[in-house]
Amino acid sequence: MMTMTDELVRMEHIKKSFGRVQALNDVIFTVRKNEIVGLLGDNGAGKSTLIKILSGALTADSGEIYLNGNKVNIRNTTDAIQHGIETIYQDSALVAQLSIARNLFLGREPIKSPHFLDRMDQSAMNELARQLIKQVGITKEIPPTTPISSLSGGERQAVAIARAMHFKSDLIILDEPTNNLGVEETRGVLRFVRNARDSGCSCIFIAHNIHHVFQVVDRIVVLRRGEKVADDVDPKRTTIEEVEQIITGMKYNS
Amino acid sequence: MRRLISFLQRFVSRSEFGPLVLLAVEFVIFTIRQPKFISPLNISNLLAFTPELGIIALGMTLLMTSGEFDLSVGSVFGFSAVVMWTLFNEGTTSLPVGFLIAMAIAVVIGFVNGWFVTFLKIPSFLVTLGMLLVVRGTALYITDGFPQGVWRTNASMARIIVGEFRFAGLRLYATVVWFVLFAIILGYVLTQSKAGNWILATGGNPVSAQARGVRVVRTKIALFILSAVMSAFAGIASSIRVATANPNSGTSYELEVIAMVVIGGTALTGGRGTVLGTVLGVLILRSMRNGIVLIGVPGLAYNIFIGAIILGMMALHSGLERRYHKGT
Repeated sequence: MMTMTDELVRMEHIKKSFGRVQALNDVIFTVRKNEIVGLLGDNGAGKSTLIKILSGALTADSGEIYLNGNKVNIRNTTDAIQHGIETIYQDSALVAQLSIARNLFLGREPIKSPHFLDRMDQSAMNELARQLIKQVGITKEIPPTTPISSLSGGERQAVAIARAMHFKSDLIILDEPTNNLGVEETRGVLRFVRNARDSGCSCIFIAHNIHHVFQVVDRIVVLRRGEKVADDVDPKRTTIEEVEQIITGMKYNS
Repeated sequence: MRRLISFLQRFVSRSEFGPLVLLAVEFVIFTIRQPKFISPLNISNLLAFTPELGIIALGMTLLMTSGEFDLSVGSVFGFSAVVMWTLFNEGTTSLPVGFLIAMAIAVVIGFVNGWFVTFLKIPSFLVTLGMLLVVRGTALYITDGFPQGVWRTNASMARIIVGEFRFAGLRLYATVVWFVLFAIILGYVLTQSKAGNWILATGGNPVSAQARGVRVVRTKIALFILSAVMSAFAGIASSIRVATANPNSGTSYELEVIAMVVIGGTALTGGRGTVLGTVLGVLILRSMRNGIVLIGVPGLAYNIFIGAIILGMMALHSGLERRYHKGT
């Protein structure tokens, strides 16, 4: 079995309620290093709440979060990013008016000397951006000075993904990354997730489309009504139908 | 040939292109109807007051790019000169010390504006409207509503701020030099520096900018301070030039300045800003005011033209935005 040192993330006894609705009830959730975990559950099962707590968008009522065995306090999204946790939403957190390169390096702009009023090294930014967008599978020739608002949904996600990769995030959370994407763009995102694991990154993959989840993940965790009902579903030895039954509660597999 | 076409296309798609054409058209029409428009005397007159408003507009450009605006600029314009000259005339301080005190008060005014907007999350419209009344009221109260005399000017300081000089047959004030200098520095900051990237991101998407480590609150407060300081500097320069510090001067400048900034292509909602556009916007409105009187249009009709320019330019900018940057 796994040891503590294999664990990148450990969320323990997480509880969260909204008014009288108990969204999460004593959930334990772990992600190992170099692992892609699929997080599944019906609407209202608590997937988004759990992920938002990990990415700093929400704080838990009680419970602890450990990163590499150390307890951490994630109060907001800035904390999460500093801890190496990057979240990619459907509508990725990019500034639509800024160029690809400026978005990639926002908050961590490379400065060129002589340091006159913190001059950005724009040629280096553009050059790196050009390489990065090629790496994440945008084959179309897009100049790095293009504003995000001119990109398609898939291209925007690719930029967000490129940013997570370049700044060596330990954990990338993909929250419904394939929604509203075309076939080719979806394929790009799935390919990226595999690449990310190969380059030493862990991922949490949330999607409504179970087929997409089955294609990439190492392990499936299922939430139902705020509780974890399955933790170690192996997509290679389980059928989609069986997982669907766990999600809807026709069958328990804990 | 293809490179020329692509260069032209890029040139035309820039948001400064529309204002540049408009300014050129204005100059041509006014000059045809009244050749005196481009006489050295008229250009000198035009460039006496224009840089004073222009300096305010430069600060406002960066602030508006970050998604906020400042209605208190006109009142700070009047107030800072009143503070400086009151301190000097009553013998409390020397003129340079009075100048520094007036600028320090402007920093505080800007900080309070920024603090209300960022920490209390009150829209800048309401915060700076309140500040406008407080500052204007204070200026009227400490002067009893009377203008402060500006007679014994400290020569060296006055010369640095608004000294007269001749250049290419024109009689100019040092404020022209300040305006150009500030425009170059702020244009550089907005397009080349890390601070500029933060300003654009703060105006474009403050939530994700914050998440990336951009200090949104600090950026906005700094820009409110910049706006107040630029207005104070312009107000003091103006008082020296016209040799009076009127507590009512600067009234309704805020709207003219905001008009100049948006005509130049900066978005009222933030995320897009251009210092070069603002320089053009300043020249468009000021030469309109000047030229329209020269060619004999009744002065009372002036606002019709200004309003039409604002509406026309807004339509143009929104059209360009939709054509070249789809999706926002």
